[in-house]
Amino acid sequence: MKPVPLVLLITSVLLTTHVPLSTCRPRDLNLINNQLDDVLLNRAGDDAMSYLLLYLQRNLGAQKAADVLHLQHFSTPQLRSDNSLEELTEFSKRNDDPPISIDLTFHLLRNMIEMARIENQREQAELNRKYLDEVGK
Amino acid sequence: MALFKVWFSSLIATMYIFWVSTFSCLDLPLFLSGCLDMVAVEGQFTFTAERPQLNCAVFFIGEPSDIISIEYNSVNIDCRGGDFIKVFDGWVMKGEKFPSTQDHPLPLYERYSDYCETGVTRPIVRSSQNVAMLFFRLHQSGSSFTVTFRKLINPFPCNVVSQTPEGSFTMIIPQQHRNCSFSIIYPVEIQIGELSLGQHNDLKRSILGCAGSGDFVELLGGNGMDTSKMFPMADLCYSFNGPAQMKVGCDNTVVRMVSSGKFVNRVSFQYRLLGHQELQQMKGNSVEDVCLRA
Repeated sequence: MKPVPLVLLITSVLLTTHVPLSTCRPRDLNLINNQLDDVLLNRAGDDAMSYLLLYLQRNLGAQKAADVLHLQHFSTPQLRSDNSLEELTEFSKRNDDPPISIDLTFHLLRNMIEMARIENQREQAELNRKYLDEVGK
Repeated sequence: MALFKVWFSSLIATMYIFWVSTFSCLDLPLFLSGCLDMVAVEGQFTFTAERPQLNCAVFFIGEPSDIISIEYNSVNIDCRGGDFIKVFDGWVMKGEKFPSTQDHPLPLYERYSDYCETGVTRPIVRSSQNVAMLFFRLHQSGSSFTVTFRKLINPFPCNVVSQTPEGSFTMIIPQQHRNCSFSIIYPVEIQIGELSLGQHNDLKRSILGCAGSGDFVELLGGNGMDTSKMFPMADLCYSFNGPAQMKVGCDNTVVRMVSSGKFVNRVSFQYRLLGHQELQQMKGNSVEDVCLRA
């Protein structure tokens, strides 16, 4: 076997065993269009949710992480068993998806509301301070 | 020839990875690099995709007496390329909607408004209650959109999600044939201070409970957002004064009023968070597994 294809095959095997979850995006065009390294390195989004998920996956394992966060895919047609790249591209581009949902636990939702409330109170306090400053003049 | 071999090998490798990923994906979450936010302040918000963002959602919440107004200011997305921005009138979590289809004036498909379909002609979308959410998908990095979020006053709030685990509220349904739910996404003790159903105290509670009555209040408990899938903890179909309290040890506690439209119905209640010890005690006392009640 020629060295270059062999190296590529070995690399892909090694990389696959380390990041199976990151490539779990059947509806993600990235998987098809972008470079290998882009697919593998850019999954860590800079929002709390993905960091949390990655942390949990690394420490608890994939299935437990899913259980803890009660994360499921969107309620859309089952594509995961479909290997066809063309169908995938077409589905991703299709605009008329069935009603969309999001999967969150109540715990996460409560935390998000709490943070949003704090932000709201901070803004209100700022506004009040401005009004009082104006009145004082 | 060598270049062809390299290309071909890369293709095989990519397909192999994809093929393997479909097997390992079977029970795994797909919502990996999604973007998520909760907004309670008014203002203008701009989102710019630095890389493709495929599963994003922004939750909006106001005070109980607010309704949400979302206005598209500048939108730079590729609708034909599969990008979308959709506003949902309510909240939807794990496929469960608040308000439920029974409690919302509009049919489900009308509660989603898609920017790509109606955003240009109808740039302002209003919710029917104090919660709304926005879903979006942007394939190209550099795509962006700006929305202005405002809170407007709703004189007769019907469906509400409480921002806090403690508080009080008075729900009034003034001669309207509708159902209203006040959702507290915490295990709480509810204390109903006053219930006024109809102008006369002639509504009788039948042996079968409140089922036959067109006007009643029910306490629901459950672990999802959809009130139609929650368990009834208690129901009240006669007016009374003086506190009646109940502890509901579920993730979501709802006070729901069903109104026939013949009367002005009013219910006042307070609620406070159940402490960990209280919940443990309830768990110890309870035989059933269906949330906890005391």
